[in-house]
Amino acid sequence: MINFQYIKASTPKAAIDALIKDSAAQFIAGGTNLVDLMKKGVTAPEKLIDITNLDLKKIEKQKGKLYIGALALNSEVAEHDLVSKEQPLLSLALKAGASQQIRNMATVGGNMLQRTRCPYFYNTDMPCNKRQPGTGCGALKGFNRMHAIFGASDKCIAVHPSDMCIALMALNATVLITGPKGDRQIPFADFHRLPGDTPQKDNNLERGDLIIGVEIPDNNCNQHVHYLKVRDRTSYAFALVSVAVALDIQNNIIKDIRLAMGGVAHKPWRLKEAENFLKGRTVSEDNFRQAATLAMHGAKGHGYNNFKLKLAPNSIVETLKIATQKA
Amino acid sequence: MARKKSSGSHREEDRCNDEARRYFLKQSSLLTAIAITPPTILKAVASEWDKKAAEYFEKTPLTIEINGIKHKLSIEARVTLLDLFREQLALPGTKKGCDHGQCGACTVHVDGKRVLSCLTLAVMLEGKKVTTIEGLADSENLHPMQQAFITNDGFQCGYCTPGQIMSAVACIREGHADSDEEIREYMSGNICRCGAYPNIVKAIADVKKGGQKV
Amino acid sequence: MIENFLPSNQKADPNDRVDGRAKVTGTATYAAEHKAENIVFGFLVGSTIAKGRIKSIDSKNAEHAPGVLAVITYLNCPKVPGYQTVKDPSKPTVNQPLHIFHDSEILYYDQPIALVIADTYERVRHAATLIRAQYEKAEHHTGMEENMSRARRPSDNESNDYKRGEEDAYKKAAIKIEQTYSQPIEVHSPIELGSIIAQWEGEDKLTVYTKTQGVQDTQQAIMEAFKIPLQNITVHAEFVGGAFGMALRTWPYEIAAIIGAKKVGRPLKIVLSREQMFTNVGSRPTALQKIGLGSTHDGKLTGITHEAFAHTSSNEEFTEAIVNISRCLYACPNVNTRYKVVPLDVCTPIWMRGPGEATGSYALESAMDELAHALSIDPIELRLLNHADVDPESNLPWSSKYLKECYQMGAEKIGWNQRRQQPGTLKEDEWLVGYGMGTGTFGAFRWGAIVKARLSPDGNLLLQCSVNDMGPGTATMMTKIAADSLGLQANKVTVDMGRTGLPAGPTQGGSATTSNVGSAVYDVCSDLKIKIAELAGKDGSVFKNANNNNVKAEDLLFADGGVSLAKDPSVKASYSDLLKQNNSPALEITKESKGDGPEQKKYSMRSFSTHFVKLLVHPATGVVRVNHVVSCADAGIIINPKTAASQMIGGAVGGIGMALMEEIVIDQRFGKLINNNFADYHVPVNADIPNIDVLFVNKKDPYTNPMGSKGLGEISLIGMAAAVANAVFNATGKRIRSLPITPDKLI
Repeated sequence: MINFQYIKASTPKAAIDALIKDSAAQFIAGGTNLVDLMKKGVTAPEKLIDITNLDLKKIEKQKGKLYIGALALNSEVAEHDLVSKEQPLLSLALKAGASQQIRNMATVGGNMLQRTRCPYFYNTDMPCNKRQPGTGCGALKGFNRMHAIFGASDKCIAVHPSDMCIALMALNATVLITGPKGDRQIPFADFHRLPGDTPQKDNNLERGDLIIGVEIPDNNCNQHVHYLKVRDRTSYAFALVSVAVALDIQNNIIKDIRLAMGGVAHKPWRLKEAENFLKGRTVSEDNFRQAATLAMHGAKGHGYNNFKLKLAPNSIVETLKIATQKA
Repeated sequence: MARKKSSGSHREEDRCNDEARRYFLKQSSLLTAIAITPPTILKAVASEWDKKAAEYFEKTPLTIEINGIKHKLSIEARVTLLDLFREQLALPGTKKGCDHGQCGACTVHVDGKRVLSCLTLAVMLEGKKVTTIEGLADSENLHPMQQAFITNDGFQCGYCTPGQIMSAVACIREGHADSDEEIREYMSGNICRCGAYPNIVKAIADVKKGGQKV
Repeated sequence: MIENFLPSNQKADPNDRVDGRAKVTGTATYAAEHKAENIVFGFLVGSTIAKGRIKSIDSKNAEHAPGVLAVITYLNCPKVPGYQTVKDPSKPTVNQPLHIFHDSEILYYDQPIALVIADTYERVRHAATLIRAQYEKAEHHTGMEENMSRARRPSDNESNDYKRGEEDAYKKAAIKIEQTYSQPIEVHSPIELGSIIAQWEGEDKLTVYTKTQGVQDTQQAIMEAFKIPLQNITVHAEFVGGAFGMALRTWPYEIAAIIGAKKVGRPLKIVLSREQMFTNVGSRPTALQKIGLGSTHDGKLTGITHEAFAHTSSNEEFTEAIVNISRCLYACPNVNTRYKVVPLDVCTPIWMRGPGEATGSYALESAMDELAHALSIDPIELRLLNHADVDPESNLPWSSKYLKECYQMGAEKIGWNQRRQQPGTLKEDEWLVGYGMGTGTFGAFRWGAIVKARLSPDGNLLLQCSVNDMGPGTATMMTKIAADSLGLQANKVTVDMGRTGLPAGPTQGGSATTSNVGSAVYDVCSDLKIKIAELAGKDGSVFKNANNNNVKAEDLLFADGGVSLAKDPSVKASYSDLLKQNNSPALEITKESKGDGPEQKKYSMRSFSTHFVKLLVHPATGVVRVNHVVSCADAGIIINPKTAASQMIGGAVGGIGMALMEEIVIDQRFGKLINNNFADYHVPVNADIPNIDVLFVNKKDPYTNPMGSKGLGEISLIGMAAAVANAVFNATGKRIRSLPITPDKLI
């Protein structure tokens, strides 16, 4: 790492001002991804602006929504009473990610902004359009076992590695942002991007934007939730595929359902077609299977990840089964 | 160089640096006391202004309590907490297994929470309290978890052991040791290549059952 | 020095590790943690191509970076005297390590091309990023499958083809199995990174603190490289954070540290990155094995053919005994084996826990399971039917063999009677349940060791030996044997080990440390007993008077820190009193114990193990959850059940990793490793590992060594991967013949 400058910000405005003044500056909060990327030479900010002192850690109900500050720690959110009670899917998803040590350091905002773990992105002597536009996608014809089956382009087939984001996607969260041009909100579904021709842009933030927090609207889907993470070992590993599901079931009919997948795309993958199919239908494995088939529309394997074309629908069915069997 | 006081300055950045001080030290005869950022130095070297480029270091002051002792330090921002322990403070008990947050050997407690010191920039811990394996036992007597690891043979080569023990103590304090299955999951952030896992679980379960204060 | 601290107010189990306190308090000092005045830091920069040569290296920016003292490349590397030996071009190179910075040739991806040395760790890591190299690429060969045409016979005699009876007799059998099994490259991955501190004193005296499994070997390698007197080289390795075989040789990074330290005139520390631990310090070779088994309808083997291909590097020949297990494990009149190595452009492999047998047992024990299934007989029954009562390869009787007991004990403990013969028919909720087993065996080797013992007038015993410990518990074993022999409390024994200059111990490997060093401890304590008896039997002593003169060691009981007359225990004295009363200085004996007795030629000495696995497989996701493991070992007498059980557990965990998750991936387009880090190369985590029951037959072997023990560090892993794979078949009906068995292979 270069010997970068380090400053501590005491207000969001101060942080933003410091950032936009210096094109080589970045925010740092938990650092669990940023410090790693800096050690690998993937990114080399010349100035780090420490935002950990900002008052963005609240977890509370605000106007019928669950508000979680951007600097709330992953571990705190996962275990918070409000979260466990009102949005248990978020709690489950968070607990499936990383390790307790990392969850004790990582923030909600950082979790959203973490970069892909594609080995071609991470290794600076490999071709990667995300890291260095124009150099090619090493994974496309390379070792792509962990890579996307939805929404990819021939420029990039990376996946977003977060578990938390899958839940936030499913729960229709809103991202609250402040920036040089003031405050704004982005629906979670629009926060992360597809790679398209600009894989170097992971999300729709602009330079100088600071995530303030997320809001999750109330729902009736907190009785039947499950987060299934299929991976190559039991814990401390990224998903091959993951499925987040939350349902509102009455008299065996699915009144409302949220369904999203991880490990399959450049952004958390909402399964709207499957949701629409299941709304109003009875709880049955057959219906789950049909929904899963619908969910796979447009799925495409790239060689080493062709197994996901089978694992994904299987996992959707399994997750639905588990969630609907819970009291 | 005189400390720059923030009063009288209205720049947001100076307010940011209320506590931060920057010290610059130059040894080159050619370069004078101006702020030099890394790319500038590199450019200078590249264009060969001075073959013996100024040896400079930019350091940040840091006050941090480690194992009950307050340290007043001046370190580069890029120094990780792990390297601070091992290379500057003669506290090699915390181990480097991967340096990328992937093995847990570097686990310590910061303000009571277990974290990875290899991914922690030490300068970000101003005013915090850190406990390493060297600070776990309070005197000659071993901490109950240390004794439990010995009794249950929860280690072999011993290299991952400090991280395992710091993690294990935190695991109980967090309330994540209610069953063997829970212990396994919540200890999965600490890799043991010698494979002592079942005995580690037994050690933690023993301490939990014993009810001693950890 | 391992101080055995056992506080008096705590109930101490005599089987507790004597170095336990050091390890749990963080006071055990590993290689990189030693202090040295004015120490500087080195970091190696690796090639970004897999094969070819360096056209140019630009190190100017690195040299001028803050704090940098030197950059060493092939352009300016001081001559290493030992490199000047001329290779014989007519023979493939054996034991020919890579000569770091010797020339511009690139032999593998991440091969070191520069050593950067700076005054702080942060500065050296940064400066290393400033090295720029231009390469001339050559065609690389890094995938075994793609390069089978380059397979060749190894040049050593041990790897010759073998035949007894008829070749490929299995082809004519009533029931035959003919299958191919493949395994990827596996990497040792101990948690301690490769580390060395090199410190010169003058022109030709050197001290190193390094990660090695054999301080004597390191000393020798350094002498050969630098041509300085052996006695001028001190090697320290008091604590080693795991190795599993990767520290069985002196690697280029260690030579680089020694070169660098000389160049800058200061102690130099190099710690490899975790990425470099995957590319630069060897691996278990990838292997492709073809097994042919033939049997009668009743399950009697009539033919075994075992053919193996495994990789070596392009510059050096590495071989291991992959196919040998098929020659000795089962009674079968017709056995033939073939073995070839495939040179690839990667770092030379190196022995990894259970080298040869760990690989070969996966194929053989999977094939046996396939045969059992084809015959519709129980897999254990098939093993028993073909049990070899004498070693079928050498025709020698076994020194001891309780493999049948291992099958029986293990089967009972796992609940083998719950296993269904028909795969895929047992469920727990929605999970498929399977039981599988595998057999392990490894030589019970013994070569020799020298141990010095010193019994002081204060009644304390000091044991000294250069052997060092990477985790099995050597000092604890030595303490136990000595304490038992002399009737001492464990905390009266101190072990001084882990560096040169002490009586010569063996390299730690081959599951032989207890046999080597333990025997020497046993023998030196026996000699001490004779000296103690001499002291006790001095003229006028109570012992002499009470025993009709002539006191021999056999007449005495050695217990409670002293001796008493066997026939009248009231006649006693502590060691301390004995020495003091006789104004005796400390009793010191240096004893060499060698395993070269006639028994070695009269008996076949092997350890045996059985592994039983119960696991669950999810039919929809392919996820495998190991539910219960039982490992049973015939390892002779167990010296310390606590540390021995830990070895067994550790091997089982390694076997689970081998079977279910470990795999080095190389992008063949570039010849580069893709997953050289701990996030992408998966070793088992705590949640992967269930309850593991360890059983020991614990019956003395009359011939291996004075204690009657046999090694077990490797049989703990050998056979385990097959047990897991066979359990997966039992659960699902799917036979996966390529490791690792990841979920995608099961859906």
